This record gives sequence, structure tokens and C-alpha cells, in this order.
Amino acid sequence: MSLFRTKKRSIKKPQLLTPSKLGEEKGSTPTSSSLIETEKAVKEILGVNGDLQIKHFKVFGQFSAASVYLSSLVNQDVINQDILKPLMYEPEHLMGREKTLNNLINLIITETLYHSQAKTDANIDELIGGLLLGETVIIIDGVKEAIHIDTRKVEKRAIAQPETEQVILGPREGFIENISTNISLLRYRLPTPDFQVKTLKIGRLTKSTVAICYLKGIANETVIKEVEKRLSEIDIDAILDVGYLEQFIEDNPFSPFPQTQSTERPDKTVANLIEGRVAILVDGSPFSLVVPVVFNQFYQTTEDYSSRFLMGSFVRLARMLALVFSLIFPSLYVSLISFNPELLPTEFAVAVAGGRAGVPYPAVIEVLIIEVSMEILREATVRLPKQVGGALSIVGVLVIGQAAVEAGLASPITVVVIALTTIGSFATPTYTAAFALRMLRFPIMILSGIFGLYGIMVGVIFIFNHMLSLKSFGVPYMAPVSPENYQGMKDVIIRSPLWWMPKRPGFLQPSNQNRLSKNANKILEHNKVGNDQREDTTNGGSKGDHNTSSNDNLN
Amino acid sequence: MWQNHREIKVVILFFILIPILSGCWDSKEIEKRANVLAIGIDKASEEERKMEEDVSHLGKKFPIPDEEMIKVTAQIAVPGRIPLGPQQPGGAVKPVLVVKVIGHTFQDAMLNLQQELADEVFLGHLRIIVISEEIARKGTSRFNDLLRRNPEIRRTASLVVSKETASKYMDLTPELERIPSLYLADIVDNLTAIGKFPPSFIGLFWTIYSSKGQDTYLPYLALKGKKTIQLNGLAYFHGDKMVGKTSPLEIGVFMAVRGIGRGGYGAFVEVPGEDESVLVRAVSRKTRTKVKLKNGIPHVSIRIQYESEIDEKESAKILLSDSDMLKKIEKESSKNTKKSIEKLIAKTQKLNSDIFGFGEHFRAKLPQYWNKNVKTKEKWSEIYKTITFDVKVDSHIHRVGMKSK
Amino acid sequence: MGDPKEITTLQATTILISTIIGVGVLPLPLFAVRAGETSAPFVTLTGILLAAIGLMILTYLGMRHPKKTIITYSQDIIGKWLGKLFSIFVIFFFVILTSLAAREFGAVVVTAVLRETPLEVTVIVMLLLASISCRNNINVFSYIHNFYVPMILAPVLIVVAFSLKNANSLYLRPIFSGNDIRDMAAGMLTISALFQGSFIITMIIPSMKSPKKALKASFWGILVSGGLYLLIVIATVAIFGPEEIKQIFWPTLELARTTAIPGNILQRLDIIFLAVWVLAVFTTLFSSYYFSIHSIKELLGLKDHKMLSYFILPFVFFLAMLPQNILHMYEIIQYIGRAGLLITIMYPAFLLIIDFLRSWRKKKNVAKSS
Repeated sequence: MSLFRTKKRSIKKPQLLTPSKLGEEKGSTPTSSSLIETEKAVKEILGVNGDLQIKHFKVFGQFSAASVYLSSLVNQDVINQDILKPLMYEPEHLMGREKTLNNLINLIITETLYHSQAKTDANIDELIGGLLLGETVIIIDGVKEAIHIDTRKVEKRAIAQPETEQVILGPREGFIENISTNISLLRYRLPTPDFQVKTLKIGRLTKSTVAICYLKGIANETVIKEVEKRLSEIDIDAILDVGYLEQFIEDNPFSPFPQTQSTERPDKTVANLIEGRVAILVDGSPFSLVVPVVFNQFYQTTEDYSSRFLMGSFVRLARMLALVFSLIFPSLYVSLISFNPELLPTEFAVAVAGGRAGVPYPAVIEVLIIEVSMEILREATVRLPKQVGGALSIVGVLVIGQAAVEAGLASPITVVVIALTTIGSFATPTYTAAFALRMLRFPIMILSGIFGLYGIMVGVIFIFNHMLSLKSFGVPYMAPVSPENYQGMKDVIIRSPLWWMPKRPGFLQPSNQNRLSKNANKILEHNKVGNDQREDTTNGGSKGDHNTSSNDNLN
Repeated sequence: MWQNHREIKVVILFFILIPILSGCWDSKEIEKRANVLAIGIDKASEEERKMEEDVSHLGKKFPIPDEEMIKVTAQIAVPGRIPLGPQQPGGAVKPVLVVKVIGHTFQDAMLNLQQELADEVFLGHLRIIVISEEIARKGTSRFNDLLRRNPEIRRTASLVVSKETASKYMDLTPELERIPSLYLADIVDNLTAIGKFPPSFIGLFWTIYSSKGQDTYLPYLALKGKKTIQLNGLAYFHGDKMVGKTSPLEIGVFMAVRGIGRGGYGAFVEVPGEDESVLVRAVSRKTRTKVKLKNGIPHVSIRIQYESEIDEKESAKILLSDSDMLKKIEKESSKNTKKSIEKLIAKTQKLNSDIFGFGEHFRAKLPQYWNKNVKTKEKWSEIYKTITFDVKVDSHIHRVGMKSK
Repeated sequence: MGDPKEITTLQATTILISTIIGVGVLPLPLFAVRAGETSAPFVTLTGILLAAIGLMILTYLGMRHPKKTIITYSQDIIGKWLGKLFSIFVIFFFVILTSLAAREFGAVVVTAVLRETPLEVTVIVMLLLASISCRNNINVFSYIHNFYVPMILAPVLIVVAFSLKNANSLYLRPIFSGNDIRDMAAGMLTISALFQGSFIITMIIPSMKSPKKALKASFWGILVSGGLYLLIVIATVAIFGPEEIKQIFWPTLELARTTAIPGNILQRLDIIFLAVWVLAVFTTLFSSYYFSIHSIKELLGLKDHKMLSYFILPFVFFLAMLPQNILHMYEIIQYIGRAGLLITIMYPAFLLIIDFLRSWRKKKNVAKSS
């Protein structure tokens, strides 16, 4: 249904923005064999740009030629050393051989240029396109084809720690904007021929490279096909970030819940690939988009898996609690204060009543006001320069909270409740999921203001029903809880030990389910054997074997 | 297609939301409620009766309930008097407001109470209801109807009978607890927890009251001095009317017959052969009650096993160093207990009050007899007078504390 | 519908459990005690057994026609027009059942928690919740049920577990109190009427991955929900005694009210219980609502059921508002429930017999002709 939708939308959009007006006029005219004419054609299209460089020279001293490139995009050293030098200064092995216009191209590409990426083309359109991507084009007078050599050099930042997904244990690398670096980060972790990267270009103006990465033989073929299909149906002028793609390929754009996961972490991406998911990378975006997703992914981190299972499970439980907190805590407070104070212990109820005695608004309004100001404060801290931001958040929380209490605008308990809620929403590792819950908090708050606990329940049922009806690329959003999947369930509330999870989550319907080899499940057994080593040393040897075999499979 | 659906959905939701938004029907902030923490019910005196205002009925036009007028004293928490967090010194102001109203019925009195308060009366935090003995002897069912119908009332609230007028308890300012009524409620709860009283809360009172083969009982409180309250015994009822009370020690006896495991009472037992006595405290009990018909007359046999401990001896003359001595004490203690059990049962038989629930045993174990001869609660009360019983008590003293002699 | 047949046996079981467990649990001990005094658990058990027999008949019938629901196969068995006529009865009955469940819960909420809120509002909120959720397909329907089952079972089990310290085993005896047999039979019918939601199985079977396992699903479904019902009756009777229960509208709620969780974290369990119980009521309503619109769809041969879900909403709401007060409502509920057994047990049994006769005759004919 959503496919249908994206298609329709893109068709509806009138084709106002032609990708390149100048290029369009020329169409796909073939390059002329005359250097002057070709040069003229190039200048006609790109002539106004100051960084267009056309340098005339003679190939091997005989054939007049020109190198054309955009100086802002290329590596000058490469042009000078690897292209111009061998062309102008005839190499020794070519001395004395016959050079005609006919075999010239072949000679240059196969025997002269010190460059691996060179190809020929005989089309003005391609020539311009190549120039814009940082290629250097050699045009030789009298030859129809031009030689395209990839000399692109774009400034990129160094690989740094991912800002939005920090971990204590685990790798420190994050994606950067450059797609080839990003793919290299993935390839580095997956040196297997099964790891496949399909690329396509999306965006009429930006022509962004989009890479679909998956593990062949593990990922479900239909999901891969579906991803390709949805991506190929996108027709838009610009893809500036992976988020643009997300909005076109997700199943239900009106849902507050994210149906794709974007992550900055190569290790997380790889882990998802191994579970049978598909990752989408876009040139220019430091995020990869992982599909299909299920909800429980959003409160899991890579750290859960790299730390020991008890620790991972404990942290995960805390995180789930935080999730619940951030969704219903303020509404719970409202309904306890305004509807069912009998639920509070008497001592506390009497004290709370005292704390609220001066507050002029009902609890709902009070909580809403503080929540809204908290949202503003949060947004402000994101936008402010780093040096100021830190100061503001502390000032905001401490001073405003204190002042509001003293001015009688809010009761001290309200401030505590809102503070806990805010902290709870920060504990959710995925920004988008945390945001969804943050938004949904408000309707629940209003419902609780009308119906108390009953309202909260109704709101929560609405949310759960919505989540249960969502699907991400054919996978039910609440899997593996409902529909149930025993293998996947081991990884929902607690993080079971790795050797308990010998199979990939079945709800993704991976082509190959096995993660662990069979003997790796004997970890607990050989641990026991290991303890008995003093009595029976012969078993010691086999222990090492088991360990190595299991390690192989885990990575 | 889907866009159409969506629009319809939004329109429908909008129309439904309009009336809802005007709602917040039940929303009532905690500080806008008059949290009634405790209620005392007394008989209204002559002068007080004259003060009655026409709130729930107009003069004499409406049939006025026949029963005597009652005075309700409510303890209401005053918001702001009890601060959040640890108590600041110098809090001399009383944290609660005590209001006295009168009425023909309980609800009548509550309506009168509402008339005197700006905030809505809220009974969700009502922890204890004190009924004066005078009123209790006239019957309690007239209060229970309202209490049962009102969903705000906790079934776990306490109901107690007081020796003095209940309003005195409302004015009390005990020093152990910041809020006086909480202290009162805690007395009942905590004494139950340490085995001084059988479980007693209003829900249990109702349950026993409705069951055919048992009569109700309630804690009986008395004031000692100005600020302390004593658990003075157990008030027992016939139907909804209080008919008598036991001594504090008899509460322990009662618990033994009821088979409530946790023991909390100690009694002096005279050591045979000596003139001195030791204090034997029950630690736990085990009771088996058997019922049968002896020549058509219901007969109850009770077997009680006591686990006790010697807490104190009166003088150095008694030597507790050998087990023979303990045996003797055990025997003596059993004998004493047996005697007091028999005495208590006879006492309740006289007043038709089967607080032990023997009737339930008959109903459950001898249904044919019950269906044929008893069937109703009133009939059982009659029969209860005539039942025979035998008691066997078996005490074991297992511990003597840390002293060897 | 074209939905893939994805419902697993576990999902079918959970659908049954969460459909059966609904608002009927609240007055259940009252019905049982009125009929049988101390033999309330026995009455409940017989009620459960009767319901189980009905469900088994229905499941067996469904398994003989694994691609059709009762609406469609009844037309095969007893002829098109007669089948349609009976189907109209079935649909109408489930519409009434939906409205009564919504009304009953609305009444509980209005009496126990939201005392000032108009009854209409609480009823319409529940109905809206159901009707909006009904727009999903049958797989999502099963996911929703599957997801909520633990949350439905947990509060009951917690309340029962914590309340047992006040239990008095004497209240459960004698097990056969020698009440009027007619009373007990009526009580048995009332209680087995509480299981009428299990009729949903006829809609589930065509969408199951393996319809052959439907019998297993119904067995476990009735075992778990029936076990829970029995547990509730036993616990309430043991704690309150039959006489006290007769005085309470919703003994199960009262059980939660009497129960205190150690440590006094929550002072009043009944309010929490009622809040969580919204879930159980929702799943029941959801099922009967879904069944109604799904059946109407099949009866009229429509392609999509989504618009229907709003279409019948005013009708259901109107029916829900018909009872004058809570006493009147319970009279109607008991009457409709017992009468409904004709539809939920007798009608399938009738169909099954005819179906047997037909296939027997067919076999004979085949044997003859060969």
C-alpha cells in the first residue's frame, strides 16, 4: 500500500525542476572529433564557472589535446604526476612504436596512464556529468571518444566517535559523510563475499549515491527486492540525508513511531546485517538506515551484546523502565493527584496536598505547562552553541524549577515528576523512538486529565494497538512478542547469553537461521569440564577447541 | 481512498472530542478535597440535637428515621499544615481540623458535614472509624449501609469500639505520629501484626456479619490518661449489636480458639509447689476444631497446641534449670488456658454471641443437620446457647531465653 | 480477504483466552453463589464444561469446513436462505453482546471510579476503542490478542495470590450444598453464557496456519480461561463466604479492594485492577465487534470491513444505552446470555448433526452408484 503511495506522490509532483537545464538543451549529443568544437560545447555549459580548467597540451608531442576538469573537485597532484606527465613525456617503452589516432586511445589507457580508473566515453552529457563528479577528461583532437579519469578528491572529516550513540564498552568508530569511507568501515568488519553492496543514484539534482548493503544468503530476498523497489520508485530533486529516504520508504508515514532505524555506528549496522537486515547508506549522510525493524530494537544497544549477559540484561531492564516512565509518568501523577488520591499512602497524600496548596491550576495544566517549557528548554539546548548550552541546561533546570516552586506555579512533586520523565526519555538509546514516546506523552496526559487512570489505560491501548498493527517491510512491528517467536523472545526483556540464542531472529525470516555451530552450545559443559581439569587433564585440550569454534561463529 | 478515510476519522474524532473536552467530570485536585482521616460516632446529646439544621430533609414534613440522632466527629487533614519532607521544628499548629456534626443517619450527618466545609468531603483516606460503646450496643448496621455503598471507603479501614465517647479520640494528640488519626489506625494494624489482636478490618467485619454461623467482634479501646490509648479488650456482638467485652488477656484466649497462629499474649503461671509464678508467653498456636452431634446436640471439641516461651520469672526461688520443672509449668499453663477458654465460651454462650464461628463449622461439616435444624443466623444463636464443648490444651515450652536458670 | 493464513495455534489459543475473559469476571462469583451457595465452584465447573462442549462442537464443525466461517458454511449445510436467516440471528446476537459488555463495564467504571462522569462517555470511549481497532486485518487482530493476554492474566493472579491469606476454607464447604437443582442449572447456564465470546473460533479457523490444530487451541483456551474463572470463584467464596458475596455486585472487584500488597505500595488495589481490566474488556469487545462486522461483511459479500466498523457504532451504542439501570442491565444480561446459548451451542450442534447426516447420505449414494 505504501509503495503505491510513494509512487503516486512522485507522479503527482509536476516536473518543475529539470535536473540540468543547460545539459538538457544539448541533450545527449555525441562528442565531436574536433577538439575545438568539443571545447566550445563544454564552455557553453560550464564556461561561467571559475573553477573550470582547460589545459591544452600535446600527447606524446604529436597529438593536440586538452585536459578538462573542475579544479575544486580534483586532486591536482594526480593530474600532474599520473596523467599529464606520462602523456606529455613519452614513456620509454613507447618510443619508436607507431602511434596513430586509431590506436592512440588504447595506448594511452592500457600503457601510458598511471591510473586505475580510466574509461572512454563519447557523449557530451556524460562528459559534463563526469566533470561534475570530479573526473578529469582528456579530449584529443581527431578522436571521438574522450578519456575520463577519476581524479575526485573531496575533503572529508576524520572518523570520530558517534555523537548520538555513545557506549562505554564497544568500538568507537562512527560513520562519516563520505559513502566510500562508510562502506569501507563495513567491509572491514565483513570480509566475506556474501556482503554485497548495490548502488544506485537518487535525486535529480544531487545524484546521490545510495548503497543497499546486505548479506547474501542471510537476508531475506524478498526484503531486499522490496527495498530496491521502494528506493527505485523515489523521484525527487534532492536527497540530502538518509532521512529523506526514510520518509519515502517507510510503511506508515503517519505513525509517530520510526519504522526504520538510523544509526551512526558501523558495528551496529554490521550486527543488524548479520541478523538478516538490510542497510541503506547515502552519500553525504553519516547515518545508515536499517530495515526492517521491530520495536524492541529501539531500546537495545550494541553495548548490551558486548557486555556480559547479566549486566546487559540489567541495563536493558532499567532502560525499559525508563521507557515506561517517559511515556506515562506525568499522566500517572495527574490521575493520582486529581482522580484517585486514595491510592497514595495517607501520610504522603496529606503532604502532597500541602505541597500543592498554593498552586492555582489543576494538576493537568500544571504538568502540561512544565512539560512544554521542558520541551522548549531541551530544543534550546540543542540549538545553542556548545559553550552556552551546558550552562543553560543547568540554569534552566535548577533556577526555573526552583523559582516556579517558590512562585507557587508548580508544586515540588511536579518538578520531581517532570525531571524523572525527562531523564527517562533520555535513557532510550534511539533518538527517534524516544521522540515518539515524548510526543505521545501529551495526548495521554490530556486523556488522564479527563478520565484519570481509565484514560491512561485507554491511551496506552490505543498506542499498543497502533504499534501492533504497524509493519516494517512485512515484519510486524511488535515481533517477536506478538506474533510470538520463541527465539526472538530471548532477546526482548533480558539479553540472554549468546549461546542461548543459536538462531537468528525468525521474525525477519532470514534465509539462513543458524548463528552458532552445534558444539558451541557446549560452553557450559566444558566450563564444568574445565573445573575438573585437575582430575582429568585430557579434557583440557578440547576446551580450547570449543572456545575457538564458538568465537568464529560469534563474529 | 485512504485519504478519505483519514478525513472521516478526523471529523468523527473531532465531534466526539468536543463533548469530552468539556469534561474532566471527576477531576478534583487532592488539595481541594477534604480528606477525612478518621470518624467518630457518638450518640447526640439533648442540646446538640437542637442544633440540627435542615439539610437533608425539610422540618417534619418528611419521615424522619426513628433511630436516635448521632453525632459524627470527623478529623480532616488541613493541607499545608503537614509539610513535605522532614518535620521542621516548632510545628505547634494542629495538623488536622476536627468537625462535629449531628444527623439522624450517618449519611445525614455526612451531608451536614459537607454543608460546613468548602471542599468536597473525600472518604478515600478514611483509615479508622471509632464507634462509642453506647452506640455500638444499639446496633451498627445503620452505619454500614453507607460505608458499603460508597466506593471511596477502603475495605481495609479499621472499625473499633471505644469505651469513652468517640469524639474524645478525635481530639487526641498523640506524639508518636504526626497525624493523630494515623496513630489510631496504626494501633489496630500493628497490634494485629504483633499478635495482640486477631485480624480486624471493616471488610472482615462485614464478611463475618453476613456469614450465618459466626458473630462479629471488634477491638475495644479505652483511654489511659490524656494521650495514650489502650487496647482494652474485644467487643463481641450479637447480630449488629454489641453485647459484651472481654478482658485484654481473653483476646489471646479467643485467638487460640480461632486458631490464629501468631501468639502475642503472656500470662503468669503459678509454678506448682511453689508460691511463685513465671510469665509464659505464647509464641505460636495450632488449633483443630472438630464438630459432631452428640445425641442430637451439637458438640464442639477443640484441640490447641501451644508453643510458648518463658519471658520472666518472679523471683530467684524458682529454678528453671531442669526440664521436669518446665513439664510442670507446661501442665499448669495448659490447665489455666483450658479454664479460661471454657470460661470465655460460656460467657459468649450466655450472650448468644458465637464469635468463634462454631456455627460455620457445623454449616460446613454437617450440612444435613444445618439445613434441617438451623438454616438462619437467628436460629443458630439460639442453638449456640445449648451446644456442648470440650477443650484440650497442650503447651510446650521450648525456649527460656538466654538465661540458663 | 486475501490475508495470508498466519494465525498460529498459540495465537488462536490466546485469542480465545482474552476474548472469554472479560467484564463477566466481575460479577461471576455473584452469579455462581446465587445459584449454588457454597457449591458455587461446582456450579462454575459445570458451566465451564457446558461451554467447553459447545466450543468443541463449534471447533469440530469449523474443522470440517476449514476455509469457511459459520456464516458461509451454514449456507452450505442448511441451504442458502435458512443459513442467511440464522446468520442474521447470530450477528444480531453478537451486536447485542458487544453493546451489553460495553454497557456493563461502563456501569462498573461509573459506579466504582469515575462517579461524576456520564455513563454515555465511558461507554462510547470503549466502543470507539474497539471500532477503531477493528479496522485492522485478522492477523493484526490476533497480534493484539496475543500481546494482551499476559497483562490480562497477571492482575487476577496477583490479586488472588495476595488475598489468599484471608481465606477461610470453611466457606467452601459443603461442596454440594443441596440447593435447588433448577437454580443451579440456571446458574450453570448463566456462567456458560460468559464463555460465549469463544464463538470467535469460527472466524479464526479459516485464517489459521493449520486448522487441524484448532481443537488443541480451543482446548487450551477453555482450560486457561475456565481455570481462571474457577480460581476466582474459589478465591472469592473462600474469602467472603457465600452470604457476603450475595450482597456485592462485583465480588471480584471487592476482592481486589480487600487485598493489600505487602509494604503498602498501593493502597487500593481495586482501582489499579479496574484500570488494568480495561484491557480485558477491550479485548472482549474487540472480538465480538470484529466478529459482528466480519460476519456482516461475509453475509453481504462485501470486500472490505473497515467502513462497517463505524457504520454499526451508533447502533451498538444505542443498544448499550437501552437498559434503565444497573439492576435492569443485569437482568437483561442474564436473560440474553441464557437465550444466547441457543445460538452459541444449540445452533452449531444442529448444524453438525445435519452436516453428519448429509455426508453420511453422500457416502451411501456414492456407495450405491458405484
